[in-house]
Amino acid sequence: MNVLILGANGMLGPHVIPALEEEHTLRLTDINDPPDTPHEYLDVDVSNLDAVIAAAEGMDAIIDLSVLRHDRRLAFDVNARGTYNACAAAVHHGIERLINTGPHFTIAGPTYENSDHLIGPDVPSQSGTNLYAITKSLGQEICRVFTENHDLHVLTLLFYNFHYGDEREGFGKDFTPYNVTWKDAGEAFKPALSAPLDSLPSKCETFFVFADLPHGKFTNEKAKRVLGWRPTDNLEDFWHKRPSEGRTRGDG
Amino acid sequence: MNILITGASAAIARRLASALGDRHAVTLTDRAAVDGVENFVRCDLDHDDATSDLVRGMDVIIHSGRSERGGSVSERLDDAMRCLYNLVRAACEEGTPRLIFLSSLAVMGRHDERHAVTECWRPAPTTDTETLGFHMGEFICREFAREHRIEVVCLRLGELTWNSGEAPPSDGLYVEDAVHAVERALSADISEGYADSRSYWGLFHIQSSVPNQRFLTTAARTALGYTLSAR
Repeated sequence: MNVLILGANGMLGPHVIPALEEEHTLRLTDINDPPDTPHEYLDVDVSNLDAVIAAAEGMDAIIDLSVLRHDRRLAFDVNARGTYNACAAAVHHGIERLINTGPHFTIAGPTYENSDHLIGPDVPSQSGTNLYAITKSLGQEICRVFTENHDLHVLTLLFYNFHYGDEREGFGKDFTPYNVTWKDAGEAFKPALSAPLDSLPSKCETFFVFADLPHGKFTNEKAKRVLGWRPTDNLEDFWHKRPSEGRTRGDG
Repeated sequence: MNILITGASAAIARRLASALGDRHAVTLTDRAAVDGVENFVRCDLDHDDATSDLVRGMDVIIHSGRSERGGSVSERLDDAMRCLYNLVRAACEEGTPRLIFLSSLAVMGRHDERHAVTECWRPAPTTDTETLGFHMGEFICREFAREHRIEVVCLRLGELTWNSGEAPPSDGLYVEDAVHAVERALSADISEGYADSRSYWGLFHIQSSVPNQRFLTTAARTALGYTLSAR
């Protein structure tokens, strides 16, 4: 499969590329300096509609990893309009599969996360007004509208925190209950590319991608059930107490 | 009231300013200069002090969601999303109590015309740039309202019809009715029907009584006191 990866030279790209490069022909794009890569690389600003359409020519699928979090203009340019451009490019070339990415709070913003448990990826989006969350959420909504109007399937993989798994800092102190290793995150793109489109529940599906964690705050059940993805590292050292920290003064 | 109306290049914005100007202090704005408009302040609606200055002291902002400036798809989506976000965020920070967002019934356009579509039905927009822009605008406003940072009255306007002599489309909205709906939305209690809880988000379908009227306007009549003028 010929796969265009937008924003390939960011944080996640270096972990997605090794997961896919054996089975797929990759065309990488970003606005950074080209990485040391054997794959085709194009300098593409995802906010440039014509450039994204040109980059998508001859592709069978598009993966959008592009993201900008802080600057208000750039966040809208990349996270919202960039996603529009990816959808428009897919429709322009008859590409039927787009893999979109973002943080979990594009859906499960503070109104969910501060109050609820067993939050799944199919709840109505409540991103809140945080810049990063709402711009990515707008992009996700744009995807949904495109799938309802065109022959396009969008699979959105939502992440939050990443780990290599062998860090020691933070062990035994618990963490935001939405973490995954970089490697397992990269592996999630394999089934997202290979899942038969007619096997998906709808043309617009969202998946929470994180390790099997005991908190019960969110659920990754759908990613496992629909994509067959399995985390290989559940980061136990972070949410298991360290032996010396099991008892503290006053615990009796 | 001090009222700010955006999208001064759009005829509906100027019509609203004219209608409301007798009883309110109205300021018009747009991202580009518009000739022949009184009380006009040009503003890029960027993330800067100019946007904060623009909204400071306003009691109501009416975001027309419309422009006759044209522009590329990217520019129009930028207007619809980034600029609106900047406007609403500045309004929240400056303490503006209410925003009236003039959306469009086009966001419900893919529903079957035979169905009795109300505000309870989920949006069904196309990817047409203008329609998608309205849909994204609603999305942004709703999130600010959800956080109780500002009251938003979202009026989904039918297709604006300027000449009463023309045969209107099934979702037609005579301009006089649009002005009336906005006047009602300036101060209507949008928490009506929510028992003891206060609502910051009011969503209403606004169209005129036309042959084969496509959308029901019961909610607007009940909550806003929107009445259809005889014609």
